[in-house]
Amino acid sequence: MNLRTRGALDRVFTVLAGLSVVLLTLVLIGVLGPMVYRGSGAVLFGGTVEFRKMQRDLFKRGGSEALDAEIAQTEEARREVYSLIDTFRKGIDIEAISDAARRINRDFGEELRFKGVATERYTELRQRSRDIRDQLEAAFASQDINEIRTDLESVLQSADDPAFKGTGAEGYFKLAKDFLNAAEQVDLSKHHEYKASLQEVEGILFGSTERPGLLGPRPGGPLPPLAMLHYGATRWDQARQLLHQFKYRQFWVEAEPNAPLVRREEPRAALFAGTSLEPLFGYIQANAEKMLHPRFTVYWQYFLDDNVDSHYFGGVGPEIIGTLLITVLGMAFVVPLGVIAAAYLVECTADNWVMRIIRMSINTLAGVPSIVFGLFGLAFFILFLFPRLGFEPKPCILGASMTLAVLTLPVMIRASEEAIRMVPQSFKEGSLALGASKFRTFVTVTFPAALPGILTGMILSLSRIAGETAPILFTGAVWIGPMAKSVFEPTRTLSRGSYGIAVEDRLAMMVPHNQYGMVVTLILLILVLNAMAIVLRSRVFKKLKGQ
Amino acid sequence: MDRDVTVALEPAAEASPRPLALTPGEDLLGFVGAYLGRALLLVVTCTSVLVVFLILVFVVLRSVPFLGGYDLTKFLASQDWRPTADDPSFGALTLIVGSIYVSVAALVFAVPVGILAAVFLSEIVSWKVRNVVKPVVEILAAIPSVAYGFFAILVLAPWLQEHFGFTTGTNALNAALILAVMALPTIISVGEDSISALGRELREASYSLGATRLETVVKVVIPAAHSGLIAAVVLGMMRAIGETMVVWMASGNATQIPHPWWDLSQSIRTMTATIAGEMGEAPDIGGVSHRSALFAVGVILLLMTVVLNVISEYFLSRAKKAAGKT
Amino acid sequence: MSSLMTPPSDPPPVETQYLASPPTEDRGKATVPRPGSKMDIMATAQNRKATKPLETVPAGEQAIIRSERFSLYYGAKAGVKNITMDILPHMVTAIIGPSGCGKSTFLRSINRMNDLIPHVRAEGRLAVDGQDVYDKRTNLVNLRQQVGMVFQKPNPFPKSIFDNIAYGPRLQGVRNKGQLQHVVEQSLKAAAIWDEVKDDLKKSALALSGGQQQRLCIARALATRPRVLLMDEPCSALDPIATGRIEDLMEQLKTTYTIVIVTHNMQQAARVSERTAFFYMGELIEYDRTAKIFRNPGKKETEDYVTGRFG
Ligand SMILES: Nc1ncnc2c1ncn2[C@@H]1O[C@H](COP(=O)(O)OP(=O)(O)OP(=O)(O)O)[C@@H](O)[C@H]1O
Ligand SMILES: [Mg+2]
Repeated sequence: MNLRTRGALDRVFTVLAGLSVVLLTLVLIGVLGPMVYRGSGAVLFGGTVEFRKMQRDLFKRGGSEALDAEIAQTEEARREVYSLIDTFRKGIDIEAISDAARRINRDFGEELRFKGVATERYTELRQRSRDIRDQLEAAFASQDINEIRTDLESVLQSADDPAFKGTGAEGYFKLAKDFLNAAEQVDLSKHHEYKASLQEVEGILFGSTERPGLLGPRPGGPLPPLAMLHYGATRWDQARQLLHQFKYRQFWVEAEPNAPLVRREEPRAALFAGTSLEPLFGYIQANAEKMLHPRFTVYWQYFLDDNVDSHYFGGVGPEIIGTLLITVLGMAFVVPLGVIAAAYLVECTADNWVMRIIRMSINTLAGVPSIVFGLFGLAFFILFLFPRLGFEPKPCILGASMTLAVLTLPVMIRASEEAIRMVPQSFKEGSLALGASKFRTFVTVTFPAALPGILTGMILSLSRIAGETAPILFTGAVWIGPMAKSVFEPTRTLSRGSYGIAVEDRLAMMVPHNQYGMVVTLILLILVLNAMAIVLRSRVFKKLKGQ
Repeated sequence: MDRDVTVALEPAAEASPRPLALTPGEDLLGFVGAYLGRALLLVVTCTSVLVVFLILVFVVLRSVPFLGGYDLTKFLASQDWRPTADDPSFGALTLIVGSIYVSVAALVFAVPVGILAAVFLSEIVSWKVRNVVKPVVEILAAIPSVAYGFFAILVLAPWLQEHFGFTTGTNALNAALILAVMALPTIISVGEDSISALGRELREASYSLGATRLETVVKVVIPAAHSGLIAAVVLGMMRAIGETMVVWMASGNATQIPHPWWDLSQSIRTMTATIAGEMGEAPDIGGVSHRSALFAVGVILLLMTVVLNVISEYFLSRAKKAAGKT
Repeated sequence: MSSLMTPPSDPPPVETQYLASPPTEDRGKATVPRPGSKMDIMATAQNRKATKPLETVPAGEQAIIRSERFSLYYGAKAGVKNITMDILPHMVTAIIGPSGCGKSTFLRSINRMNDLIPHVRAEGRLAVDGQDVYDKRTNLVNLRQQVGMVFQKPNPFPKSIFDNIAYGPRLQGVRNKGQLQHVVEQSLKAAAIWDEVKDDLKKSALALSGGQQQRLCIARALATRPRVLLMDEPCSALDPIATGRIEDLMEQLKTTYTIVIVTHNMQQAARVSERTAFFYMGELIEYDRTAKIFRNPGKKETEDYVTGRFG
């Protein structure tokens, strides 16, 4: 090979090696980036008035006159929406207006009886009322505008009749006028389509039984059972999505035979072209902000709040507490064991078979898959040990933390061992030369000097077990459930929650920010712990180098 | 000497010298104390030994009813895993193959990148660049597996489905990619350690003979560090085979062996995912039951990691010896 | 100056023992031409010891440390072999010799600091105050309290100055605050560092300079009130000024303590010590009054070494 090709190959190699590291960095960014970006939405977002209402009702937070005033303002802006929809409904919702006509007839009869009208007069008026009702119903049912006109005009002739003035029967004429108005503008053959489309529009604006709408349920109406359906879009990004859905109807079409369906969109306003509802589209686009009052919100209470309706609202407070409980309790078990073992391994060195077996065990333990620790925790701690200690043999915080303690034992031993080894021999010699015993020397000199290193190891172990999921699946972590009241109850944790919210929860899928929020909280917790460990470690290095 | 310093201390020993010899009582006390203390520490230190022992005993114990009452060849060679059927069948071959399949696939991605990165960090860049890159590796190692699984199922799976036209995004490829990322930090740090442990003389000898960096790395460094690199790969394999959350979330959990064998776009199922997914629903009843079968799967898993552990130890100790020689 | 250099008006009994030795015995041999510097050293040393009687190597009874055919092995390798020497109280004894000749090994054998190293084995007898230190029944705690040690590199604990000094007394069970305060002050004064640190005893000992740290370590050793002070190259990490101060300190301390110092600095050995032992390859080659070793050594190796013709 000549020199040129050798040089070129060498350069290619260097570039490739460099690329591998670039790839690593890209992977890190590619993994963390999208998750952190979307997860940050759980805390930072444009909160609407609906969010503040929800916070007031569900979390007893921030209710005040200012909020009442804000709600009043937004309701003011929404009134137009309600009236546009109601007007339109009168034109197309045949059952509803027919019902209304029937009701007026019934009420009018009662009214007459109540007034004590003479029998003949009563019979006559009842008959006329019934005629009007029938005419109206015929008009409502008809699809021919001329027929409708004649019917309605004959109804409206009675409008000036003093017999009906000031009675409930006046409702007939209002119905008739409204319907005539509406019927002039709509294609009567499309009644059913209008009705279906209107239902969709109402679903988007006021929510359905499945999901909340843009503005939330109309005031005064019956409240749906789920709390999540009591509110409109609590977040501006949600609102924007709903606005888009409101503006464009989506449907799937078969673009080419045997190919997957493709999604198409068409402006929804076109469906209502020429009707009294058409202005609604313009109005909502123009006044969305007035109706919702979005405002930049830092929802830091996300880290404290419990969730509502399977993470649709609220935060990850109980998960954080559960994670900390399990990990801290686990550390309480593992730290003394780990430090003592490390001290023994460093200070009482003897290269004999006992030591070799201990070392081998530690290495084996470090390699055991985490799920096997889960099996072990279940089989030993929960099913074997607990009944013998008089505890109930069921998954609980204690079982989970013991399992995690066992899992992190090798990490803790290795870290403490390294920390104790780093303490300069001269410290020990100094102490021994003053007549201290070996034990005394360890307690008063070696251990304090190794403490920062041991703390680093502790934090690393902590961050390791905070993220572990598999070992606690059957030993104490649950996905949903009340806050634990003692260590003998299972708890929710961030890790178990991250799994649950990703695959087990239908409601949470409607709120990706909460899905991502949970896992990002977990990652942040762990990275913060790691950063602390790194800072501590570099401090120790500096300190030890200083001498 | 114009400083006026007075020696202030009188040696106390002159007044009442403490005896240099132990009294018999002190002697006995010291002896017993030292031995008791040591024994106590040893006992605490042996917790890890005890735990390994207990893991073996308890996981095996729970699987004994199954292993004793079920046809072992059927367990290991049948592909029929129907634990909840009326006439249940526990053929774990699919699961075993799935575990190995996805781990090997992960290594195929991770090993070249990992070794290149290890070489890059130990042979090519300055100490400063290394200090910048190391945290990247450390963060990759610190991200918990459930977060990787979350990423796999919610970010990577839709992306794969959209860009590669797979029928499902949760498949062997997805799991293997994520496992590769998770195995990388192990491979890089162990590999880098073993390369850095080689003496400088070795490289200098090669460079002084006019070799380029590539030639030095390929012909001298990697052969010299091969034990450590093999250990790195084995440890990476261990990490991948024992991983639970990622494979559970990303692999699709279909009880099948991919056919054709190289088709990574099919869903598979591993031992770990099966245990994690089914243990919750498996009732605690005696005899050949779903639960004892899952423990038996755990035993296989445990055996595999113990074997891998022994292999890695062997290569690590060889690497240590090799480094000691140069 | 002279007030300090003159021995106490009532010299300790050990000193009087050798008053009879003829003071001029080996002067004549000093005319062998030597490098000028060597002469200068001796001139200084001579000057300092002018008023002191010269002694012969003492008989055993008075020795505080007594080594008889003592050897120490690191595994199969001998650190020191067959050392027989007596170290006298209230004197500075210097141990010199080339690197690796076993000086530290011998010194650390005296208070059994070598116990820390695995596979160490001792042979022969090494007694402090008549107690064989390698006897199984030696009280190591008391031994180390009575035989203090100052190391080559200052090794203060990462604690406050006060806690460093109080470490030893606390080990001995002193808990009383006032008493501790007293001991700390006395020790720091004795080590001539009190004036520099008295204002801030809570400061970390690691914040002191190297020379200060070394004096702190000496103070720490003094606080346990030892009878013997072993010093292994205590000045090797220090600048000349700090070295000078520590040498002055030794001068004062030897009235109450017995000091054994290992040094590579021949001038220093000549300046501060009364006796000098020359080690070579793990063996004791020559042990005599300092003046004799430097001016009129009995062995060829010693002469080569002290005149710098060594190696
Ligand atoms: N811990 C040890 N293990 C094995 N051999 C040792 C150990 N410490 C010292 N030695 C050996 O014992 C011999 C004497 O060492 P020692 O430290 O006493 O020399 P020294 O005279 O103090 O040298 P220096 O002037 O360099 O300090 C040396 O050959 C050395 O290699
Ligand atoms: Mg030495």
